[in-house]
Amino acid sequence: MKVVVILRLNPVLTDELELTEDESDIDREWIGLEINQFDDQSLEQAILLKESSDAHVTAIAIKDEGVERLLKTALAKGVDQALQISLEEIEDRSSRALAPMYAAAIRELQPDVVIVGVLSTDDLFGELAPYIAADLGWSQASAISDFRIEADKIIVRQEYSGGRAALLEMATPAVVGLQTATQPPRYVAGSKLRDLLKVEIPNLSIDVAPNLEKVGSTELALPDLSEGATMFEGDTDAIAEQIHSLLQEKGFAS
Amino acid sequence: MTVSHTLVIWCLTIGALIIAGWRAWYRFRPLLHAQPLNRTDQPWVRLKGVFGDVGLHRRLLKFSYSGVLHLMIFISFLVLFTAIIQAFGSGLFPGFSLEPIGGETWIALLQEIFAGVMFLGVGMAVWQRYVKKPERFKGSKKSDATIIYVLIIAIVVTMLFEFGSQIAFKGGQYNQFRPISSFIASILVNFGVIDSIAQTTAVFFYWAHVLAILAFLIYIPGSKHRHMFTVMPNIFFRPLTPKGALPAPPVDLVEEGKSKTVEKFEDFTWKDLFDTLSCTECGRCQHVCPAHASGSPLSPKTLIMDLRDGLLTDEGLMDAAYSLPIAGGTIKEETLWSCTTCRACMEVCPVHIEHVPKIVQLRRSLVERGEIEPMLQTTLTSFQSHGNSFGKPAKQRARWTKGLSFKIKDARKQAVDILWFVGDFASFDPRVQKLTLALGELLHKAGVDFGILFDGEHNSGNDVRRTGDEGLFEMLAHHNINELDSCEFNRILTSDPHTLNALGSEYRSLGANYKVVHYSQFLWELVNEGKLKIKNTSSNTVTYHDPCYLGRYNGGFDSPRNLITSLGYQLHDMGRCRENSFCCGAGGGRIWMDDSGMEERPSENRIKEALALGDVDQFIVACPKDVVMYNAAVQTLGMEEKIIVRDLTELVTAAIDDSP
Ligand code: SF4
Ligand code: SF4
Repeated sequence: MKVVVILRLNPVLTDELELTEDESDIDREWIGLEINQFDDQSLEQAILLKESSDAHVTAIAIKDEGVERLLKTALAKGVDQALQISLEEIEDRSSRALAPMYAAAIRELQPDVVIVGVLSTDDLFGELAPYIAADLGWSQASAISDFRIEADKIIVRQEYSGGRAALLEMATPAVVGLQTATQPPRYVAGSKLRDLLKVEIPNLSIDVAPNLEKVGSTELALPDLSEGATMFEGDTDAIAEQIHSLLQEKGFAS
Repeated sequence: MTVSHTLVIWCLTIGALIIAGWRAWYRFRPLLHAQPLNRTDQPWVRLKGVFGDVGLHRRLLKFSYSGVLHLMIFISFLVLFTAIIQAFGSGLFPGFSLEPIGGETWIALLQEIFAGVMFLGVGMAVWQRYVKKPERFKGSKKSDATIIYVLIIAIVVTMLFEFGSQIAFKGGQYNQFRPISSFIASILVNFGVIDSIAQTTAVFFYWAHVLAILAFLIYIPGSKHRHMFTVMPNIFFRPLTPKGALPAPPVDLVEEGKSKTVEKFEDFTWKDLFDTLSCTECGRCQHVCPAHASGSPLSPKTLIMDLRDGLLTDEGLMDAAYSLPIAGGTIKEETLWSCTTCRACMEVCPVHIEHVPKIVQLRRSLVERGEIEPMLQTTLTSFQSHGNSFGKPAKQRARWTKGLSFKIKDARKQAVDILWFVGDFASFDPRVQKLTLALGELLHKAGVDFGILFDGEHNSGNDVRRTGDEGLFEMLAHHNINELDSCEFNRILTSDPHTLNALGSEYRSLGANYKVVHYSQFLWELVNEGKLKIKNTSSNTVTYHDPCYLGRYNGGFDSPRNLITSLGYQLHDMGRCRENSFCCGAGGGRIWMDDSGMEERPSENRIKEALALGDVDQFIVACPKDVVMYNAAVQTLGMEEKIIVRDLTELVTAAIDDSP
């Protein structure tokens, strides 16, 4: 079975974020990027499938700063192949804009299954998996927490609210939005990364334009400040001081 | 001695030697298949160490009661060895006697005196082991010690009774060279042991003496008391490389040029295995270990004992519940992750056993398998993508410089005298950034020509190496070496002692040789040379904490103390200071791991020690990680009113302040 796993970098959310001048995106100049946590789960799941069912795994990502490193990590973890999809300038990074590019890459690779992290900070509603599946005309399921291969079928476990879950049998080819892998992502030792330092990650060029017309963000804004919220200002010490005295006032601290 | 006697003693001796040799061979033969290691350079330095730690008992005497009793037993043993020579010499070679060189005069007197000293020494040992019961003996094998005490006493008692019977046979007159034996003789005579009875008794005790010695000989190879034979070579083959340079991973003997991890015992070096067989179970290492004190599952003593028992089980000599692989099987993962690599154990071990390299080798195996402490996994991943432990983009590393009153040089663009390698905590942690700014201002005021690497700096990798991620360490180190090699400078200044260690000791193995100085040394230089003028002095009494990687690893004990006293402070050292300093608990990657399960954090233990001095209200530190660790400890203990943590930089800044 051939598996493609899609990897994305997300801004580190514990950092202070700054907006671009037109306030329609975050300023990526100073920001730290890390693998989308759900994509990390997808990668682990793909490796588990390789280990248990001999799946052939290809990791793909859209070419950008830090992506080469991301894909090397995937290689170090054990994927068979890593490719970066090279695009001209990317302005809109919404899932809607990128889905056709991923779909084009997937058509080229012809896998049986595509695994995508169920959400990401720029894919808040988990729309990427259905968009890609729709573009390809494949079966699709999201919020998946377990994954097995049986002959030419896949068995997945889909989570519902209230702690219920269903085991679904899906025909391939399929696109799966994965929530958690069967086991937590393992650490990849630096020695494996070091051995890959000089490896070049090949490009996969595709001939499709991003879907730019349908959706786009026009503005990013902080939530409205309603009455009752207190915004603390100042440096760390000053803020701590204010929080402390507020807690004291309310009787939570002495 | 009749011919048949001689024959019997020859047979017994050869038989005992064969059994003892066989018992030793089975224990030591794994060394032949272990990883190679050359430890024969500088033989004189090596011999000097053996003399100091065996002959003079230097390390042993650090624990005075045990040191003294051990010295008593040790010297007595050497003296009484003459009695053994006499007993076996005369038995094996009829006619042999020490008499011509004083065997019946001064040697005899010495034997008598030291038989007494031996009793006293063993008595003190028994008192200590069964009555005082120090915590450090917890986990040691008591029965082994008991058997040895009994055998030693048996050897000495039979010797004295043999001599006593001989005196009784000769009529029982007091022999001035054998006071104890004469006393025994007088009792024997009283009981009618005279003439032929006395002669038979002497023969009886002679054989009892010989048999006790042979039993001892046979017993030794399987006992911790084999250290009698292994200690000297173990100290001789001690490492003479810089203390802060960890050994490389084992080499793959099949695939040449490749390295591997320790999975089986033979993947350790022969010296590592020899170490385990030399351990005396004295527990000194356990006594000083911060991990053990905090209630973690690690004790350096039981670690070595478990490795030894694992090795012996592997050889089929024991049936303990040990399994391979070593990391995760013989030694549990939590045990390995508990070590702060503070080196206190290695510094105190009288046998010079090397605990830390073994722990790191085994951590390497865990890392290679991807089995790693969860919080540590997050940090190491951050190192892989950002080159720092804070998960911050490299570009943010020099953000703190915005707070400086002057423009700091970019050492990558301009030649500088001092290249300041700032380090992660000093660059990113808001609590330490203030001190980093203060140090920058001090350097500027002193007219130092200095610069930094800005985003070219990555974490030095000192603690990454200690977590066991060798590949990541190499990547970080190569990155820094490339950056440094493109710069022009005379010396490197570091804020962090861990960085001092990496740049000074660890990078050497990668071909980089730098002159590195810690800010405590550099500030002392500036004050001493008058480049920083002291205007205000303080006469407060303070204490100072030696960071492991500045003090124990790199010998930086004096500069911080000189600096503190030159500013007028009275320095009141804690009991555990200088090479006996007690780790804050942050080293070896521990600062990135979960410490919520500890009974008492080492940093809290340390603050209590400082408070117990009674007269200090300032706890002086010289390491960015200490600033973080000890401030947290003071807060946890709720002692903010009693003691404050101050960095050397703050002291100097306050002392040169010219505002009224
Ligand atoms: S290095 Fe320190 S923490 Fe580690 S075992 Fe030795 S004494 Fe304990
Ligand atoms: S390792 Fe050294 S200090 Fe620790 S118990 Fe063994 S001999 Fe004693």
